[in-house]
Amino acid sequence: MLLLYILPNLFYKYHFSSTSHQALPLPSLSPHTNTNTHFLCSVLVATSSVLFYPQFFSDLPMAVSGFEGFEKRLELRFFNDSITNTNPIGLRLIDFESLDQVLNEVQCTVVSAVANHSFDAYVLSESSLFVYPTKIIIKTCGTTQLLKSIRPLIHLARNVNLTLRACRYSRGSFIFPNSQPFPYTSFEDEVVIVEESLPKSLRYRKASVMTPSNSNPSRAWHVFTASADVEPDESLVVVEVCMTELDRVNARSFFRRKGDEGNSDSAGKEMTRLSGIDMINANAFICDFAFDPCGYSMNGVDGDRYSTIHVTPEDGFSYASFECGLSLYDGGQGDIAEVLARAIDVFRPGCVSIATTYNGEDYDHEVTKRVERVLAKKLGLKCRSRLMDEFPGSGTVVYQSFTPRRK
Amino acid sequence: MGTAISNMLGAGEGNESEHSGVTKLSSSAQWQLHFNGMKDSNQLLVIDFSASWCGPCKSFEPAVRHMAVKFTDVSFVKVDVDELPEVAKEFDVTAMPTFVLMKNGKEVDRIVGAKQDELENKVTKHRGGDSDDDHHQMVK
Repeated sequence: MLLLYILPNLFYKYHFSSTSHQALPLPSLSPHTNTNTHFLCSVLVATSSVLFYPQFFSDLPMAVSGFEGFEKRLELRFFNDSITNTNPIGLRLIDFESLDQVLNEVQCTVVSAVANHSFDAYVLSESSLFVYPTKIIIKTCGTTQLLKSIRPLIHLARNVNLTLRACRYSRGSFIFPNSQPFPYTSFEDEVVIVEESLPKSLRYRKASVMTPSNSNPSRAWHVFTASADVEPDESLVVVEVCMTELDRVNARSFFRRKGDEGNSDSAGKEMTRLSGIDMINANAFICDFAFDPCGYSMNGVDGDRYSTIHVTPEDGFSYASFECGLSLYDGGQGDIAEVLARAIDVFRPGCVSIATTYNGEDYDHEVTKRVERVLAKKLGLKCRSRLMDEFPGSGTVVYQSFTPRRK
Repeated sequence: MGTAISNMLGAGEGNESEHSGVTKLSSSAQWQLHFNGMKDSNQLLVIDFSASWCGPCKSFEPAVRHMAVKFTDVSFVKVDVDELPEVAKEFDVTAMPTFVLMKNGKEVDRIVGAKQDELENKVTKHRGGDSDDDHHQMVK
Protein backbone atom coordinates (compact mmCIF):
# COMPACT_ATOMS: atom_id res chain seq x y z
CA MET A 1 0.00 0.00 0.00
CA LEU A 2 1.44 3.26 -1.01
CA LEU A 3 0.14 6.39 0.57
CA LEU A 4 0.37 9.20 -1.85
CA TYR A 5 0.88 12.77 -0.77
CA ILE A 6 0.86 15.41 -3.39
CA LEU A 7 0.46 18.94 -2.18
CA PRO A 8 0.43 20.79 -5.47
CA ASN A 9 0.28 24.30 -4.16
CA LEU A 10 2.00 24.08 -0.84
CA PHE A 11 5.74 24.61 -0.80
CA TYR A 12 7.89 24.89 2.30
CA LYS A 13 11.53 25.61 2.73
CA TYR A 14 12.93 25.51 6.18
CA HIS A 15 16.07 26.96 7.63
CA PHE A 16 17.73 24.43 9.86
CA SER A 17 18.96 26.07 12.96
CA SER A 18 21.49 24.74 15.37
CA THR A 19 22.49 26.24 18.67
CA SER A 20 25.74 27.46 17.20
CA HIS A 21 24.00 29.09 14.30
CA GLN A 22 24.40 32.83 14.12
CA ALA A 23 21.44 34.61 12.63
CA LEU A 24 22.45 36.22 9.40
CA PRO A 25 20.54 39.35 8.54
CA LEU A 26 19.06 38.82 5.08
CA PRO A 27 19.23 41.88 2.88
CA SER A 28 15.84 42.82 1.51
CA LEU A 29 15.61 40.86 -1.68
CA SER A 30 13.01 40.52 -4.39
CA PRO A 31 9.57 39.11 -3.52
CA HIS A 32 10.66 35.78 -5.03
CA THR A 33 12.31 34.93 -1.75
CA ASN A 34 8.94 34.76 -0.02
CA THR A 35 8.32 31.56 -1.91
CA ASN A 36 11.36 30.21 -0.11
CA THR A 37 9.26 29.72 2.95
CA HIS A 38 7.50 26.88 1.23
CA PHE A 39 8.53 23.26 0.82
CA LEU A 40 7.36 20.63 -1.57
CA CYS A 41 6.79 17.23 -0.04
CA SER A 42 5.75 14.49 -2.40
CA VAL A 43 5.94 10.80 -3.07
CA LEU A 44 5.17 10.32 -6.71
CA VAL A 45 3.53 7.33 -8.27
CA ALA A 46 3.29 7.30 -12.06
CA THR A 47 -0.39 6.60 -12.49
CA SER A 48 -1.54 9.09 -9.88
CA SER A 49 0.67 11.79 -11.24
CA VAL A 50 -1.19 11.56 -14.52
CA LEU A 51 -4.35 12.71 -12.74
CA PHE A 52 -2.75 15.72 -11.14
CA TYR A 53 -0.10 16.65 -13.64
CA PRO A 54 -1.04 15.44 -17.10
CA GLN A 55 1.89 17.33 -18.53
CA PHE A 56 4.25 15.70 -16.03
CA PHE A 57 3.71 12.25 -17.51
CA SER A 58 5.64 13.12 -20.61
CA ASP A 59 8.54 14.30 -18.45
CA LEU A 60 8.79 11.01 -16.59
CA PRO A 61 11.84 9.02 -17.44
CA MET A 62 11.16 5.96 -19.55
CA ALA A 63 13.36 3.88 -17.29
CA VAL A 64 12.28 3.07 -13.78
CA SER A 65 15.78 3.89 -12.81
CA GLY A 66 18.91 4.85 -14.70
CA PHE A 67 22.22 6.54 -14.09
CA GLU A 68 21.91 9.57 -11.85
CA GLY A 69 23.61 12.51 -13.51
CA PHE A 70 22.87 15.08 -10.82
CA GLU A 71 25.98 15.58 -8.75
CA LYS A 72 26.68 16.13 -5.10
CA ARG A 73 29.30 18.82 -4.68
CA LEU A 74 31.61 19.36 -1.74
CA GLU A 75 33.99 22.27 -1.32
CA LEU A 76 36.44 22.54 1.56
CA ARG A 77 38.49 25.70 2.09
CA PHE A 78 41.41 26.10 4.43
CA PHE A 79 43.22 28.98 6.12
CA ASN A 80 46.27 30.01 4.13
CA ASP A 81 48.49 31.15 6.97
CA SER A 82 50.67 28.08 6.60
CA ILE A 83 51.22 28.69 2.91
CA THR A 84 54.75 30.02 2.83
CA ASN A 85 57.78 29.94 0.59
CA THR A 86 58.80 26.65 2.14
CA ASN A 87 55.31 25.25 1.72
CA PRO A 88 53.74 26.95 -1.27
CA ILE A 89 51.50 24.14 -2.35
CA GLY A 90 49.48 23.28 0.75
CA LEU A 91 46.91 20.58 0.01
CA ARG A 92 48.76 19.55 -3.16
CA LEU A 93 51.36 18.06 -0.83
CA ILE A 94 48.91 15.35 0.23
CA ASP A 95 50.24 12.17 -1.32
CA PHE A 96 48.18 10.64 -4.06
CA GLU A 97 47.82 7.23 -2.35
CA SER A 98 45.97 8.90 0.54
CA LEU A 99 43.68 10.79 -1.82
CA ASP A 100 43.03 7.59 -3.71
CA GLN A 101 41.96 5.89 -0.48
CA VAL A 102 39.47 8.67 0.21
CA LEU A 103 38.09 8.31 -3.30
CA ASN A 104 37.70 4.57 -2.66
CA GLU A 105 35.49 5.38 0.32
CA VAL A 106 33.40 7.63 -1.89
CA GLN A 107 33.27 4.84 -4.50
CA CYS A 108 35.02 6.47 -7.41
CA THR A 109 38.44 6.26 -9.08
CA VAL A 110 40.72 8.45 -11.17
CA VAL A 111 40.46 7.89 -14.92
CA SER A 112 42.49 10.87 -16.12
CA ALA A 113 44.40 13.75 -14.57
CA VAL A 114 46.53 16.81 -15.28
CA ALA A 115 48.29 19.44 -13.20
CA ASN A 116 49.66 22.90 -13.83
CA HIS A 117 51.38 25.39 -11.55
CA SER A 118 48.12 26.36 -9.85
CA PHE A 119 46.17 23.18 -9.20
CA ASP A 120 45.63 19.47 -9.81
CA ALA A 121 42.60 18.31 -11.79
CA TYR A 122 41.39 14.70 -11.74
CA VAL A 123 38.65 13.22 -13.91
CA LEU A 124 36.93 10.53 -11.85
CA SER A 125 34.81 7.54 -12.79
CA GLU A 126 31.93 9.55 -11.41
CA SER A 127 32.94 13.18 -11.92
CA SER A 128 35.80 15.43 -10.79
CA LEU A 129 38.28 16.38 -8.09
CA PHE A 130 40.23 19.64 -7.95
CA VAL A 131 43.06 20.25 -5.49
CA TYR A 132 44.32 23.78 -4.97
CA PRO A 133 46.77 24.83 -2.23
CA THR A 134 43.93 25.80 0.12
CA LYS A 135 40.81 24.46 -1.56
CA ILE A 136 39.42 21.07 -2.54
CA ILE A 137 36.39 20.60 -4.75
CA ILE A 138 34.87 17.15 -5.24
CA LYS A 139 31.85 16.67 -7.41
CA THR A 140 30.41 13.17 -7.78
CA CYS A 141 27.33 11.73 -9.46
CA GLY A 142 25.61 8.34 -9.49
CA THR A 143 25.13 6.83 -6.05
CA THR A 144 28.46 7.85 -4.60
CA GLN A 145 29.02 8.44 -0.89
CA LEU A 146 30.55 11.88 -1.14
CA LEU A 147 30.08 12.95 2.47
CA LYS A 148 32.32 10.10 3.64
CA SER A 149 35.24 12.12 2.33
CA ILE A 150 34.86 15.04 4.73
CA ARG A 151 36.52 13.61 7.84
CA PRO A 152 39.47 11.95 6.06
CA LEU A 153 40.15 15.08 4.00
CA ILE A 154 40.18 17.32 7.07
CA HIS A 155 42.58 14.84 8.67
CA LEU A 156 44.88 14.72 5.64
CA ALA A 157 44.90 18.52 5.52
CA ARG A 158 45.88 18.71 9.16
CA ASN A 159 48.86 16.47 8.35
CA VAL A 160 50.11 19.20 6.00
CA ASN A 161 49.37 21.89 8.60
CA LEU A 162 46.16 23.21 7.12
CA THR A 163 43.13 24.17 9.18
CA LEU A 164 39.59 24.05 7.83
CA ARG A 165 37.98 27.42 7.29
CA ALA A 166 34.77 26.78 5.36
CA CYS A 167 32.68 24.00 3.88
CA ARG A 168 29.97 24.11 1.25
CA TYR A 169 27.79 21.19 0.17
CA SER A 170 25.36 21.65 -2.70
CA ARG A 171 23.23 19.66 -5.09
CA GLY A 172 20.17 19.84 -7.30
CA SER A 173 17.26 17.39 -7.11
CA PHE A 174 17.92 13.80 -8.11
CA ILE A 175 16.17 12.36 -11.14
CA PHE A 176 16.00 9.02 -9.25
CA PRO A 177 15.85 10.05 -5.60
CA ASN A 178 14.77 6.58 -4.45
CA SER A 179 17.92 5.03 -5.88
CA GLN A 180 20.16 7.02 -3.58
CA PRO A 181 21.66 5.38 -0.49
CA PHE A 182 21.32 6.87 2.99
CA PRO A 183 21.73 9.74 3.81
CA TYR A 184 21.12 11.08 0.30
CA THR A 185 17.43 10.20 0.40
CA SER A 186 16.78 13.36 2.38
CA PHE A 187 18.61 16.65 2.57
CA GLU A 188 17.99 16.87 6.31
CA ASP A 189 19.90 13.62 6.78
CA GLU A 190 22.74 14.87 4.61
CA VAL A 191 22.95 18.04 6.68
CA VAL A 192 23.13 16.03 9.90
CA ILE A 193 26.03 14.00 8.49
CA VAL A 194 27.91 17.07 7.26
CA GLU A 195 27.44 18.89 10.55
CA GLU A 196 28.74 15.92 12.52
CA SER A 197 31.86 15.79 10.36
CA LEU A 198 32.82 19.43 10.82
CA PRO A 199 34.76 20.98 13.71
CA LYS A 200 32.95 23.38 16.03
CA SER A 201 35.24 26.18 14.87
CA LEU A 202 33.00 26.48 11.81
CA ARG A 203 30.33 28.18 13.83
CA TYR A 204 28.35 30.04 11.17
CA ARG A 205 26.08 27.49 9.51
CA LYS A 206 23.06 27.53 7.27
CA ALA A 207 21.07 24.99 5.31
CA SER A 208 18.58 25.97 2.67
CA VAL A 209 16.44 24.37 -0.01
CA MET A 210 15.68 26.87 -2.76
CA THR A 211 12.49 25.67 -4.41
CA PRO A 212 10.92 27.41 -7.40
CA SER A 213 7.18 27.50 -6.96
CA ASN A 214 6.33 26.66 -10.52
CA SER A 215 8.91 24.16 -11.75
CA ASN A 216 7.66 20.86 -13.05
CA PRO A 217 9.14 18.49 -12.01
CA SER A 218 10.27 20.35 -8.95
CA ARG A 219 13.97 20.93 -9.21
CA ALA A 220 15.17 22.56 -6.05
CA TRP A 221 18.70 23.68 -5.21
CA HIS A 222 20.05 22.43 -1.88
CA VAL A 223 22.85 24.28 -0.11
CA PHE A 224 24.57 23.84 3.22
CA THR A 225 27.43 26.12 4.26
CA ALA A 226 29.54 26.27 7.38
CA SER A 227 32.25 28.82 7.95
CA ALA A 228 34.62 30.13 10.61
CA ASP A 229 33.79 33.65 9.40
CA VAL A 230 30.66 35.24 8.06
CA GLU A 231 32.63 36.96 5.33
CA PRO A 232 33.60 34.79 2.37
CA ASP A 233 37.30 34.23 1.74
CA GLU A 234 36.96 33.05 -1.86
CA SER A 235 37.15 35.67 -4.59
CA LEU A 236 35.99 33.67 -7.60
CA VAL A 237 32.31 33.34 -8.45
CA VAL A 238 31.22 29.73 -8.95
CA VAL A 239 28.54 28.87 -11.50
CA GLU A 240 26.88 25.45 -11.44
CA VAL A 241 24.66 24.61 -14.42
CA CYS A 242 22.44 21.52 -14.51
CA MET A 243 20.75 20.51 -17.75
CA THR A 244 18.19 17.79 -18.43
CA GLU A 245 16.24 16.63 -21.49
CA LEU A 246 19.26 17.13 -23.72
CA ASP A 247 18.63 17.54 -27.42
CA ARG A 248 18.74 14.00 -28.79
CA VAL A 249 20.92 14.81 -31.77
CA ASN A 250 23.44 16.70 -29.64
CA ALA A 251 23.44 13.92 -27.06
CA ARG A 252 24.41 11.39 -29.73
CA SER A 253 27.89 12.91 -29.87
CA PHE A 254 28.51 11.42 -26.44
CA PHE A 255 28.05 7.79 -27.44
CA ARG A 256 31.12 5.76 -28.41
CA ARG A 257 31.24 4.86 -32.07
CA LYS A 258 31.96 1.37 -33.36
CA GLY A 259 35.53 1.10 -34.55
CA ASP A 260 36.93 4.04 -32.60
CA GLU A 261 39.90 1.86 -31.62
CA GLY A 262 38.70 1.41 -28.06
CA ASN A 263 40.69 4.46 -27.05
CA SER A 264 38.87 6.46 -24.37
CA ASP A 265 41.21 9.40 -24.73
CA SER A 266 40.97 9.88 -28.47
CA ALA A 267 37.22 9.26 -28.35
CA GLY A 268 37.02 11.89 -25.63
CA LYS A 269 39.02 14.33 -27.74
CA GLU A 270 36.68 13.75 -30.69
CA MET A 271 33.66 14.44 -28.51
CA THR A 272 35.24 17.64 -27.20
CA ARG A 273 35.86 18.86 -30.71
CA LEU A 274 32.62 17.72 -32.40
CA SER A 275 30.37 19.02 -29.65
CA GLY A 276 31.99 22.45 -29.55
CA ILE A 277 33.04 22.06 -25.92
CA ASP A 278 36.55 23.20 -26.89
CA MET A 279 35.11 26.60 -27.88
CA ILE A 280 33.46 27.39 -24.54
CA ASN A 281 36.83 28.64 -23.33
CA ALA A 282 39.33 28.45 -26.17
CA ASN A 283 42.20 29.22 -23.77
CA ALA A 284 41.62 26.21 -21.55
CA PHE A 285 43.52 22.94 -21.77
CA ILE A 286 40.91 20.19 -21.82
CA CYS A 287 41.49 16.88 -20.08
CA ASP A 288 38.68 14.72 -21.43
CA PHE A 289 37.50 11.13 -21.18
CA ALA A 290 34.84 9.13 -23.02
CA PHE A 291 33.10 6.35 -21.11
CA ASP A 292 31.94 3.06 -22.62
CA PRO A 293 29.33 2.70 -24.11
CA CYS A 294 28.47 6.35 -23.54
CA GLY A 295 29.11 9.26 -21.23
CA TYR A 296 31.70 11.99 -21.18
CA SER A 297 33.67 14.01 -18.68
CA MET A 298 36.14 16.83 -18.95
CA ASN A 299 38.12 19.16 -16.74
CA GLY A 300 39.26 22.47 -18.20
CA VAL A 301 42.46 24.06 -16.92
CA ASP A 302 43.22 27.72 -17.64
CA GLY A 303 45.80 29.26 -15.31
CA ASP A 304 44.17 29.05 -11.88
CA ARG A 305 40.67 28.71 -13.35
CA TYR A 306 38.89 25.38 -13.51
CA SER A 307 35.87 24.23 -15.47
CA THR A 308 34.19 20.88 -15.67
CA ILE A 309 31.54 19.17 -17.78
CA HIS A 310 29.87 15.80 -17.26
CA VAL A 311 27.41 14.19 -19.64
CA THR A 312 24.94 11.33 -19.25
CA PRO A 313 23.49 11.19 -22.76
CA GLU A 314 20.93 8.38 -22.50
CA ASP A 315 17.42 9.30 -23.52
CA GLY A 316 14.98 9.20 -20.64
CA PHE A 317 17.46 10.45 -18.06
CA SER A 318 19.84 12.58 -20.11
CA TYR A 319 21.80 15.09 -18.10
CA ALA A 320 24.75 17.42 -18.49
CA SER A 321 26.46 19.70 -16.03
CA PHE A 322 28.77 22.62 -16.56
CA GLU A 323 30.63 24.34 -13.76
CA CYS A 324 33.37 26.94 -13.64
CA GLY A 325 34.97 29.44 -11.33
CA LEU A 326 35.32 32.85 -12.84
CA SER A 327 35.59 36.52 -12.24
CA LEU A 328 32.49 38.48 -13.25
CA TYR A 329 34.41 41.25 -14.89
CA ASP A 330 37.08 39.32 -16.75
CA GLY A 331 36.43 40.56 -20.24
CA GLY A 332 38.89 37.91 -21.42
CA GLN A 333 36.68 35.06 -22.52
CA GLY A 334 33.56 37.10 -22.92
CA ASP A 335 31.45 37.68 -19.89
CA ILE A 336 29.67 35.09 -17.79
CA ALA A 337 26.52 35.30 -19.93
CA GLU A 338 28.44 34.47 -23.11
CA VAL A 339 30.28 31.57 -21.47
CA LEU A 340 26.99 30.15 -20.18
CA ALA A 341 25.31 30.54 -23.55
CA ARG A 342 28.14 28.67 -25.30
CA ALA A 343 28.08 25.88 -22.73
CA ILE A 344 24.30 25.43 -22.77
CA ASP A 345 24.20 25.60 -26.57
CA VAL A 346 26.30 22.42 -26.74
CA PHE A 347 23.39 20.50 -25.23
CA ARG A 348 20.23 22.46 -26.16
CA PRO A 349 18.46 21.11 -23.06
CA GLY A 350 14.74 21.16 -22.35
CA CYS A 351 15.43 22.33 -18.83
CA VAL A 352 18.34 24.29 -17.31
CA SER A 353 19.10 25.53 -13.85
CA ILE A 354 21.93 27.87 -12.96
CA ALA A 355 23.17 28.34 -9.40
CA THR A 356 25.59 31.24 -9.03
CA THR A 357 27.57 31.55 -5.80
CA TYR A 358 28.99 35.02 -5.44
CA ASN A 359 31.44 34.31 -2.60
CA GLY A 360 33.40 37.50 -1.94
CA GLU A 361 32.03 39.33 -4.96
CA ASP A 362 29.19 41.76 -4.34
CA TYR A 363 25.88 40.73 -5.82
CA ASP A 364 25.26 42.46 -9.12
CA HIS A 365 21.68 42.37 -10.35
CA GLU A 366 22.78 43.53 -13.79
CA VAL A 367 24.68 40.28 -14.22
CA THR A 368 21.61 38.23 -13.34
CA LYS A 369 19.50 40.16 -15.82
CA ARG A 370 22.13 39.98 -18.53
CA VAL A 371 22.37 36.19 -18.23
CA GLU A 372 18.58 35.98 -18.62
CA ARG A 373 18.62 38.33 -21.61
CA VAL A 374 21.42 36.51 -23.40
CA LEU A 375 19.92 33.07 -22.85
CA ALA A 376 16.55 34.29 -24.07
CA LYS A 377 18.02 35.95 -27.13
CA LYS A 378 20.57 33.34 -28.16
CA LEU A 379 18.91 30.12 -27.04
CA GLY A 380 15.23 30.94 -26.73
CA LEU A 381 15.31 30.04 -23.04
CA LYS A 382 12.86 31.79 -20.79
CA CYS A 383 13.67 32.32 -17.14
CA ARG A 384 10.84 30.67 -15.15
CA SER A 385 12.08 31.39 -11.65
CA ARG A 386 14.73 33.34 -9.84
CA LEU A 387 15.53 32.81 -6.17
CA MET A 388 18.18 34.33 -3.96
CA ASP A 389 19.61 33.62 -0.55
CA GLU A 390 22.64 34.54 1.57
CA PHE A 391 25.05 32.09 3.13
CA PRO A 392 27.84 32.48 5.68
CA GLY A 393 31.19 32.08 3.98
CA SER A 394 29.62 31.88 0.51
CA GLY A 395 27.83 35.17 0.06
CA THR A 396 24.85 35.46 -2.23
CA VAL A 397 23.51 32.46 -4.12
CA VAL A 398 21.16 33.03 -7.04
CA TYR A 399 19.19 30.09 -8.45
CA GLN A 400 17.57 30.52 -11.85
CA SER A 401 15.65 27.97 -13.89
CA PHE A 402 14.89 28.11 -17.60
CA THR A 403 12.86 26.21 -20.17
CA PRO A 404 12.46 26.90 -23.87
CA ARG A 405 10.00 29.57 -24.84
CA ARG A 406 6.89 27.90 -26.24
CA LYS A 407 6.40 28.56 -29.92
CA MET B 1 48.57 -2.30 -14.35
CA GLY B 2 50.15 -1.77 -10.99
CA THR B 3 53.29 -3.80 -11.42
CA ALA B 4 55.39 -4.00 -8.29
CA ILE B 5 58.59 -3.39 -10.18
CA SER B 6 60.00 0.00 -9.35
CA ASN B 7 62.94 0.83 -11.52
CA MET B 8 64.06 4.32 -10.70
CA LEU B 9 67.71 4.16 -11.60
CA GLY B 10 69.86 7.19 -10.89
CA ALA B 11 72.46 6.81 -13.59
CA GLY B 12 71.80 7.71 -17.16
CA GLU B 13 71.65 4.79 -19.54
CA GLY B 14 73.55 4.52 -22.75
CA ASN B 15 72.17 3.38 -26.00
CA GLU B 16 70.78 0.14 -24.65
CA SER B 17 67.90 -1.29 -26.56
CA GLU B 18 66.78 -3.69 -23.84
CA HIS B 19 65.74 -1.94 -20.68
CA SER B 20 62.67 -2.59 -18.61
CA GLY B 21 61.85 0.34 -16.38
CA VAL B 22 61.88 4.11 -16.18
CA THR B 23 65.23 5.85 -15.92
CA LYS B 24 65.28 9.00 -13.86
CA LEU B 25 67.57 11.70 -15.20
CA SER B 26 68.34 14.04 -12.33
CA SER B 27 71.18 16.17 -13.56
CA SER B 28 72.01 18.13 -16.65
CA ALA B 29 74.94 15.80 -17.29
CA GLN B 30 72.77 12.70 -17.12
CA TRP B 31 70.23 14.32 -19.41
CA GLN B 32 72.81 15.34 -22.00
CA LEU B 33 74.41 11.92 -21.95
CA HIS B 34 71.17 10.06 -22.49
CA PHE B 35 69.63 12.48 -24.96
CA ASN B 36 72.73 12.78 -27.14
CA GLY B 37 73.15 9.05 -27.03
CA MET B 38 69.70 8.62 -28.56
CA LYS B 39 69.95 11.25 -31.26
CA ASP B 40 71.14 8.91 -33.94
CA SER B 41 69.06 6.02 -32.79
CA ASN B 42 65.86 4.74 -34.30
CA GLN B 43 64.74 3.72 -30.85
CA LEU B 44 61.71 5.52 -29.49
CA LEU B 45 62.45 7.72 -26.49
CA VAL B 46 59.60 8.66 -24.15
CA ILE B 47 60.35 11.58 -21.83
CA ASP B 48 58.02 11.78 -18.82
CA PHE B 49 57.99 15.36 -17.50
CA SER B 50 56.65 15.44 -13.96
CA ALA B 51 57.23 16.99 -10.56
CA SER B 52 57.63 15.55 -7.09
CA TRP B 53 54.57 17.46 -5.90
CA CYS B 54 52.37 16.60 -8.85
CA GLY B 55 49.48 14.41 -7.69
CA PRO B 56 48.30 13.54 -11.20
CA CYS B 57 51.84 12.42 -12.05
CA LYS B 58 51.90 10.16 -9.00
CA SER B 59 48.50 8.74 -9.90
CA PHE B 60 49.88 7.72 -13.27
CA GLU B 61 53.23 6.24 -12.19
CA PRO B 62 52.08 2.60 -12.03
CA ALA B 63 50.70 2.81 -15.57
CA VAL B 64 53.94 4.32 -16.91
CA ARG B 65 56.09 1.70 -15.17
CA HIS B 66 53.87 -1.01 -16.59
CA MET B 67 54.31 0.38 -20.07
CA ALA B 68 58.08 0.60 -19.62
CA VAL B 69 58.16 -3.07 -18.68
CA LYS B 70 55.87 -4.02 -21.53
CA PHE B 71 57.70 -2.10 -24.26
CA THR B 72 61.28 -3.17 -23.69
CA ASP B 73 62.38 -1.75 -27.04
CA VAL B 74 61.38 1.77 -25.94
CA SER B 75 63.48 3.98 -23.69
CA PHE B 76 61.45 5.59 -20.90
CA VAL B 77 63.07 8.44 -18.99
CA LYS B 78 61.70 10.69 -16.29
CA VAL B 79 62.57 14.36 -15.87
CA ASP B 80 61.55 16.37 -12.81
CA VAL B 81 60.72 19.91 -13.96
CA ASP B 82 62.18 21.39 -10.78
CA GLU B 83 65.46 19.46 -11.11
CA LEU B 84 65.88 20.24 -14.81
CA PRO B 85 63.88 23.41 -15.43
CA GLU B 86 65.85 24.36 -18.54
CA VAL B 87 64.94 21.06 -20.20
CA ALA B 88 61.28 21.54 -19.25
CA LYS B 89 61.40 24.99 -20.76
CA GLU B 90 63.14 23.76 -23.89
CA PHE B 91 60.27 21.34 -24.41
CA ASP B 92 57.63 23.93 -23.54
CA VAL B 93 56.14 21.93 -20.69
CA THR B 94 53.29 23.83 -19.01
CA ALA B 95 51.06 21.06 -17.69
CA MET B 96 51.95 17.73 -16.13
CA PRO B 97 52.53 14.99 -16.71
CA THR B 98 53.68 15.66 -20.27
CA PHE B 99 55.11 12.82 -22.35
CA VAL B 100 57.30 13.78 -25.30
CA LEU B 101 58.05 11.06 -27.83
CA MET B 102 61.35 11.45 -29.66
CA LYS B 103 62.95 9.58 -32.51
CA ASN B 104 66.27 10.39 -34.12
CA GLY B 105 66.48 13.51 -32.01
CA LYS B 106 63.14 14.83 -33.27
CA GLU B 107 59.80 15.11 -31.48
CA VAL B 108 57.26 12.81 -33.14
CA ASP B 109 54.39 13.10 -30.69
CA ARG B 110 53.31 14.40 -27.31
CA ILE B 111 50.68 13.59 -24.70
CA VAL B 112 49.62 16.06 -22.04
CA GLY B 113 47.91 14.66 -18.95
CA ALA B 114 47.64 11.21 -17.39
CA LYS B 115 45.99 9.64 -20.41
CA GLN B 116 46.61 5.93 -20.43
CA ASP B 117 44.96 4.91 -23.70
CA GLU B 118 46.50 7.78 -25.62
CA LEU B 119 50.01 7.16 -24.32
CA GLU B 120 49.83 3.45 -25.00
CA ASN B 121 48.46 4.01 -28.48
CA LYS B 122 51.09 6.53 -29.45
CA VAL B 123 53.96 4.51 -28.05
CA THR B 124 52.71 1.47 -29.98
CA LYS B 125 52.39 3.58 -33.10
CA HIS B 126 55.89 5.06 -32.98
CA ARG B 127 57.98 2.28 -31.54
CA GLY B 128 58.64 0.44 -34.81
CA GLY B 129 62.07 1.13 -36.26
CA ASP B 130 60.85 1.45 -39.87
CA SER B 131 61.38 4.45 -42.07
CA ASP B 132 57.65 5.01 -42.51
CA ASP B 133 57.63 6.17 -38.91
CA ASP B 134 60.09 8.95 -39.61
CA HIS B 135 57.72 11.30 -41.32
CA HIS B 136 54.96 11.54 -38.75
CA GLN B 137 53.53 14.96 -38.18
CA MET B 138 54.16 16.41 -34.78
CA VAL B 139 50.85 16.10 -33.00
CA LYS B 140 50.14 18.24 -29.96
